[in-house]
Amino acid sequence: MDLDFTPLIESRQYLLEGLELTIVLSLATVAASLALGGAVGLARCYGPSSLRWFLVLYIDSMRAVPVLVVLVWTYFAFPILSGISLPPFWAALVALTLHIAAYVAEIVRAGITSVRPGQLRAALAIGMSRREAVVEIILPQAIIRMLPAFGSILSITIKDTAIAAVIAVPEYMKQSETVAGQSFHPIEVFSVAAIVYFLILFPVTRLVDMLYARVAHLGRS
Amino acid sequence: MTGPILSYCAVRKLFGQFVALDGVSFEIARGEVVCLIGPSGSGKSTLLRCTNGLETIDGGEIRFDGVPLPSNDAGARQIRQRMGMVFQNFELFPHNRVIYNVAIGPRIVLRMKDGLAVRRAEALLDKVGLSEKAGSYPANLSGGQQQRVAIARALAMEPELMLFDEPTSALDPETIGEVLNVMKRLADEGMTMLVVTHEMTFARRVANRVIVFERGTIVEDGPPTQIFETPRVERTRDFLSHLGWVG
Amino acid sequence: MNFDWTVIWRNAPSLAEGTLLTVVLTTLTMAIAIPGGIVLALMRLSPIRAVSAASAGFVEFFRNLPLILVVYWAYYVMPVAFDVQFSAFTTGLAALALNVSAYNSETFRAGIQSIRKGQVEAALALGMSRAQAVREVVLPQAVPRVLPVLASTWVSLFKDTSLVSVIAVGELAYTAMRIRSQTFRVLEMLTAMAAIYWALGYPQAKLADWLHRKFRVME
Repeated sequence: MDLDFTPLIESRQYLLEGLELTIVLSLATVAASLALGGAVGLARCYGPSSLRWFLVLYIDSMRAVPVLVVLVWTYFAFPILSGISLPPFWAALVALTLHIAAYVAEIVRAGITSVRPGQLRAALAIGMSRREAVVEIILPQAIIRMLPAFGSILSITIKDTAIAAVIAVPEYMKQSETVAGQSFHPIEVFSVAAIVYFLILFPVTRLVDMLYARVAHLGRS
Repeated sequence: MTGPILSYCAVRKLFGQFVALDGVSFEIARGEVVCLIGPSGSGKSTLLRCTNGLETIDGGEIRFDGVPLPSNDAGARQIRQRMGMVFQNFELFPHNRVIYNVAIGPRIVLRMKDGLAVRRAEALLDKVGLSEKAGSYPANLSGGQQQRVAIARALAMEPELMLFDEPTSALDPETIGEVLNVMKRLADEGMTMLVVTHEMTFARRVANRVIVFERGTIVEDGPPTQIFETPRVERTRDFLSHLGWVG
Repeated sequence: MNFDWTVIWRNAPSLAEGTLLTVVLTTLTMAIAIPGGIVLALMRLSPIRAVSAASAGFVEFFRNLPLILVVYWAYYVMPVAFDVQFSAFTTGLAALALNVSAYNSETFRAGIQSIRKGQVEAALALGMSRAQAVREVVLPQAVPRVLPVLASTWVSLFKDTSLVSVIAVGELAYTAMRIRSQTFRVLEMLTAMAAIYWALGYPQAKLADWLHRKFRVME
């Protein structure tokens, strides 16, 4: 087996642009997911009960349906239904955000419910309003417990952006696919892709592991 | 049956570079209650664990009933059936009710029929004063109650010798007494007991012999009156005064 | 804008076949990845440095790669590495099995380590053999801790099988998208695909939830 890495070197600009898009898409998705998921999670805990069944349906549906399916449906089917056509990047952003926000919502709910009920009672007993109690007492404790799980959201997102290749988003996975197809050197191209993804993800998962270890004793009330 | 039930001869145990036991020699006669005392890390627990084969020794010999401890698995298991051990952390099996914790030895190891094993367990629970807890799970018992169940579990195997590894160190002060009472009754009934403990009052009142350990060797070995009132060795005096022991 | 939802009914047999393959793929992957995970966990807990490090390296490797990349990589590397032409199904199965084994090994490792050493010692002190100790004391405590996590892994795996569609394995996603290309019924087929995954995945997720509740371990 003789390996030839020159196609990679020749296409390095192309691949780097893909990598850049991977990072941009990942960060944008994480930000949007935290926002949407945070809102959904809070609404589940503190919102009107009439809304809850719908939120639970949304969250559980995202657990049941693969990312690939959400991506493909958002890019190909949604335009037919709504008349709005989304460019690949935006379709991916919407689809990934919808999918990952569901996880975030669950993390938020778990974090909030893990704070002892006595904390809320104590806050109300001092005379705080419910809103003040949640913001000043419950959420800070809950957020500390959620931090490690949020870290793993970043890791999951970066991995899921690679699936966006199937709707032709020119992120790193797609670019690698293209170079592999054109150069007939798939082994070299995908091996390098594996190394690149590993180099990006490894520090993230390490950081998350450290966070879990650090936070384990902090979060315990 | 004559001869000592247990004899240690120049027993050595190493953990890497650390010498846990450095030439320990003594004998225990049937029916004797021997307490091992000494600072943490002096080798007392290690010696206990070597006695029933949870640890292997690196030098010297341990004889049980005149026969050296076997090195093979099957032989070791046979020996362990004849010795009972009680752990500092009780180590009851949380997924079994109390009655089945006590019955598990006879059931699994002695292959006793369920009914017989349970009857034996019920009698032992009655003996340690916990009949009404038979159907409970260990998590619902206090520390002292769990330890009494652990003693019953060990006794279910009808051992010739009972090893106690700091049986009351993990207990709240209020519950220590109930466990020590059970141990005293066992001693009165003639059980041979080797007890690693920090409970000096128990050692003083129940033991036939107290052996003082330090850094893997025996510092002094004698009856409680000698050890606690007129120790012959300086280090014994130091250890006891360090503990705040007032005779 | 006209829709023809009968296309779903007309292609029901193909969709059923695709769904069946998804189920088969999930089941086979787990059948390999459970023993695989146990082996890796035992290796990780081995006192021999080289063995432990090898297992840790394997797990780290697969935790930090997108599964879709592993699928592609396996597709191109396996024929060259083994000098044998594999079917896409086998390649997909291999990629999935390697990936899930890595995750399972962490699950089993945590389960085994959560059983205190003293529990095994207490069993041995009664005269039990190692095998009896494992059967009577370790497994009854480890299984309730491991089972809910395995259930969650199963649910994720069921979804991840959709990724092998990129190497033309005829599971549900591939089949649905193929029919879409052939019939040009985009909305209908993609919605059907989503609906079938939903119908199968939702109860599985609920079952996993139930297992988590049933075996909730008191810390």
